[in-house]
Amino acid sequence: MSLLKYESQQREPLVDGDKNYHQVTEDIIGPIELKPTRLWYIGFWISVALLLFGVYSIYREVTYGIGQWNLNKTIGWGWDITNFVWWVGIGHAGTLISAILLLFRQGWRTGVNRAAEAMTIFAVMCAGQFPIWHMGRVWMAFFVLPYANTRGPLWVNFNSPLLWDVFAISTYFTVSLLFWYSGLLPDFATVRDRAKTKLRKLLYGIAAFGWTGSTKHWQRHESLSLVLAGLSTPLVLSVHTIVSFDFATSVIPGWHTTIFPPYFVAGAIFSGFAMVQTLLIVVRKVMNLQDYITMGHIEAMNKVIVLTGSIVGCAYLTELFIGAYYSQNLYEMYVFQENRANIFSPYGWSYWLMMFCNVVSPQLFWSRKLRRNIAVTFFMSIIVNIGMWYERFVIIVTSVYRDFLPSSWSTYYSPSIYEIGFYLGTFGLFFTCFFLFAKYFPVIALAEIKSILKTSGENYKAKMTDIERADAEKFYIEEVEHAH
Amino acid sequence: MNNHQFVLPGSYKKWTLILLIVGLLTIVYGFFAFDATAHGGHGQNVAATRFWAVLLQNSVYWLLLVNASMFFICVTTMAMGGWQVALRRVPEAISSVVPILGLITFIILLCIVLGHRTDIYHWLDAEAVAHDKILKAKSAFLSPGFYITWSAISIVLWSLLGRKMRKLSLDTDKNGTMDYETGKAWIWKNTVWASLYTVFFGLTVASTIPWIWLMSIDPHWYSTMYSWYVFASTFVASMSLIAIYIIYLRSKGQLEYVTDEHLHDIGKFMFAFSVFWTYLWFSQYMLIWYSNQPEETRYFVDRIGTAEKSGPFHGIFFLNLALNFLGPLLILMKKATKKSWTVVTLTAVMIIFGHWIDVFQMVMPGTLHEHAELGFFEFGSAAFFIGVIMWGVGRYITKNSLVPKNHPFMKESMIHHT
Repeated sequence: MSLLKYESQQREPLVDGDKNYHQVTEDIIGPIELKPTRLWYIGFWISVALLLFGVYSIYREVTYGIGQWNLNKTIGWGWDITNFVWWVGIGHAGTLISAILLLFRQGWRTGVNRAAEAMTIFAVMCAGQFPIWHMGRVWMAFFVLPYANTRGPLWVNFNSPLLWDVFAISTYFTVSLLFWYSGLLPDFATVRDRAKTKLRKLLYGIAAFGWTGSTKHWQRHESLSLVLAGLSTPLVLSVHTIVSFDFATSVIPGWHTTIFPPYFVAGAIFSGFAMVQTLLIVVRKVMNLQDYITMGHIEAMNKVIVLTGSIVGCAYLTELFIGAYYSQNLYEMYVFQENRANIFSPYGWSYWLMMFCNVVSPQLFWSRKLRRNIAVTFFMSIIVNIGMWYERFVIIVTSVYRDFLPSSWSTYYSPSIYEIGFYLGTFGLFFTCFFLFAKYFPVIALAEIKSILKTSGENYKAKMTDIERADAEKFYIEEVEHAH
Repeated sequence: MNNHQFVLPGSYKKWTLILLIVGLLTIVYGFFAFDATAHGGHGQNVAATRFWAVLLQNSVYWLLLVNASMFFICVTTMAMGGWQVALRRVPEAISSVVPILGLITFIILLCIVLGHRTDIYHWLDAEAVAHDKILKAKSAFLSPGFYITWSAISIVLWSLLGRKMRKLSLDTDKNGTMDYETGKAWIWKNTVWASLYTVFFGLTVASTIPWIWLMSIDPHWYSTMYSWYVFASTFVASMSLIAIYIIYLRSKGQLEYVTDEHLHDIGKFMFAFSVFWTYLWFSQYMLIWYSNQPEETRYFVDRIGTAEKSGPFHGIFFLNLALNFLGPLLILMKKATKKSWTVVTLTAVMIIFGHWIDVFQMVMPGTLHEHAELGFFEFGSAAFFIGVIMWGVGRYITKNSLVPKNHPFMKESMIHHT
């Protein structure tokens, strides 16, 4: 083992500019210490307004019942569950970045993990709203918890994937929150130590849990990170797997297909990364963090998008081929041929919109030039999230709207204003949280950036030219064997 | 500094030869003793069915296994991986067997299809298809023409694209250390070819190929997960073979820049993809079990049977899970075991055998039904394919340097520690 700090110059630097540790602190903590800008206030209050609209929509739904929504007995799941799955999917990127990319030693995760994890947590909070309020009698919500109960023989249905969702999502939320917060401790301590006012010192001091930066703290912090990464890795897969079970365990054509679990996970990561792009492209510009969230970071995430988009594409085509042709099952074929692929059927357009957004358009990112284009990336990130919303809509609505009994077919479903309001309300919640996060939290993992600065910082890499040019075997003898 | 030119030890040559001869003898013996040309009706000439079913199982398994090591090279190339460079020649050597194994597999597939082995592929039976609404409707896909054409295209393109990747790697040995610009251009070229391979891999191994080669044995049955499951199965076996060769070559004093740190990472792949395979296994099984539709559950009833009557593959079914999930999970969980040569070798052998069993239980229930055996012919045939792989790998590692020393990421790989 060599202690040499070296990384090939073929890799782009992960921190641009002539940076030292102090400069990194200034760049990342600086914005927290300033007063919020006008733009921040505008954005924040718009979000709060949306949130309030959502609260009002929920108030209507709770007071007057689910009838406030346009669901009917055929389309029993509509916007609410579409939105639920969509938000849960978005909430996958953060933990993938912090856990799986940590295990894969992807250095670029350090620039984006903090914001992505925050986004994950907010997205899961939004997702949770939908099943909770869909219960109708929400004051009974605690009935989903299988506590040693006072309800006599009344237990939750352990056979139901909806119950597995309760366990999967709450576990995922808890572990993601712990992961995110434990990573924040050293950074909060830095903010505390730089604080000029008493209140600031007090609040950030509480948030930092008395972190002193002693070796002992670091040692425990690092083992905790590894343990949480190990725990989170299966969780990244399990949450959307179980969400897919909500559909796939049924006998409904279009829902019951064995490829659902891994394909849902790939789709979730796909949409999660798109949302990270949407947010970070704005954040890096507004907060002047282009040196830390570089073009290299954006390109790497676009590669993840083209990869997961293609995996999703492979699954769509597999499903279409098997469902519409190979199965030769009357009902499967009807769903795929008539309800989906037939563009002139009532919801055919949504199927092709989904295909275009999720499979065709990400293929643009095979081009390096487009991967590194901010405008294209931003536009694509929106397209992908529209596509992924439609994926869930297609799965949920087109599988059931013409069911086994033609008299109950419901070929027209459009959401009521309160369904839309509820959805907009979750945007309000999401962005309100994100604005607060961006203002009061270090949006980049300061301590982690420092840990890679000397291998991946532009100025440090520039000094590695001699090693880069050296013959590999000579390098080994001089640098590695001598180090022993 | 040595020139990294490996001379095959006598024992390696001896074992290659023994396996090849034993394998060939077994197959030739089987050909005559099992009356392999006998008409393949259903239930008649079971011995002939056994001959072709076993060859199908082995050729498909070993071919997809060696092909998966090129997939490993391509995905690590696209991900700009640095750590694996020092050991890269090992998967290259394994993938160099693709053309020859591909040819052997293709001949076997041709014999099955052109020889109208309806006992292997029921959809070859024109008369049965004519009276079967379902098979008739998909006869464009399940037809000798499509089967042969697509198999040929797949095998040829895997071979050619893989050869290009190996050539790009070997070319670096001729020139010295690359300067920045040359290195950049070289990495770019590699990435382009790796992408082409990977996309084609998705269109074949991750979708169509397992459908026609394996899933169509039970032609009425379908599962959208099937191909990804076959991919996971062969990929984890491929990682295990890479591990075995790394340890073998290290024990012979080769691969001097590959440390236990690299082996640790290969071990992580074996662990992770064993769990991934189980994940796909569980998803497929559980969803079919849960929704309990007769046309789907039939596949598992043929294997494990029902609550009343245990099926002929009951034992194999659970052995599959023990070898490919429980074993790797418990053994490879610890860091120390992933770095131990002995433990990794034994686990790798177990995984390779385990997935051979996995493909066995994909092929046999639909062809041989209760007549399947695990006897001299099954193991003897496997010996032949293992012999071919050993011969091909041996040829590659003696002809070429084992150290891609001019690879732009070689120095990163040398100082790699986990």
